[in-house]
Amino acid sequence: MSKKRARLQIIYDILNVIKEKDGRIKPTNVLYKSNLSNQMFDEYMGDLIAKGFVIENRSKSGRTYSLTQKGFDYLSKYQMIVDFTNSFGLSE
Amino acid sequence: MIEYAIVPHWFMGYNIILELIFFVITLLVGTYALKIYQLSTQRQSKLFGISFLMIALAYLIQSVLNFAAGQSMAQGCNMQSMSLVHYLGNAGIYAHIILFTSGLVTIAYMTLKIKDAKAYLLFLAAILGVLAFGSNPIYLYYVISSMLLVYISFYYLRNYLQSKKTNALIILIAFLFLLFGKIHFIFSINHGSFYVAGHFLELVAYSLILINLLTVIRRK
Repeated sequence: MSKKRARLQIIYDILNVIKEKDGRIKPTNVLYKSNLSNQMFDEYMGDLIAKGFVIENRSKSGRTYSLTQKGFDYLSKYQMIVDFTNSFGLSE
Repeated sequence: MIEYAIVPHWFMGYNIILELIFFVITLLVGTYALKIYQLSTQRQSKLFGISFLMIALAYLIQSVLNFAAGQSMAQGCNMQSMSLVHYLGNAGIYAHIILFTSGLVTIAYMTLKIKDAKAYLLFLAAILGVLAFGSNPIYLYYVISSMLLVYISFYYLRNYLQSKKTNALIILIAFLFLLFGKIHFIFSINHGSFYVAGHFLELVAYSLILINLLTVIRRK
């Protein structure tokens, strides 16, 4: 499995964890279920928020994450993205 | 007008059709890569998409240029229209060279997997500078394109050896055919048969790229 495939897979796993929790999940749960280190989690989640896949919600009970439409689109088209990037050697 | 190839008389018209086919295929690949970028925000897909759109535009300009040249020869020209054809011809050839070379530079930059706009611009400026100030820009264009395609083919060879997948092999063979095509174009400056061979080698290359794209789309 290539490095980029792993990266695309990690993004898929994070988004899928959020989706499975009806679109609202606490950071510790995402961290645990996506099997990432703290540093990796911060890096990926920061990237996903910046690129508009995930929204961070802050309340008195703490932070939660939810998916944007772009996040849902990524999940539904994931296989197509992986097939294209693998076919044309676009892995990072 | 710059003489960029000897085109056999019987091949005139066919070259325009082939270049339009290349335009459509590269446009499809470029557009699809940008669609993948929109979904994934993956940088490699964006660079690949932009590079194929530049190559598509280069083929469109080449086919329009060849069509205009064919028309002017068929109708016969006066001095005024000759100078216009001469001017448009040179502008078209340079536009094709700049766009096609920029497309290949962008693919080569994509394969380096570095994120540095200054490095990309330096890389592009150095290559376009050589083309602009060289004594024979057409010959240099074919040589530099071939060198870039050698590098890109090596990248796809490594990609195939790592993945061992059929689609990776198809894309490797496609870029090798593009390389062989460009090498043939180097000799087309003096021999028309190489111009024809170059087009057919490119047809094989783009057909393979199209097959790869259709395989991905069908799996959806």
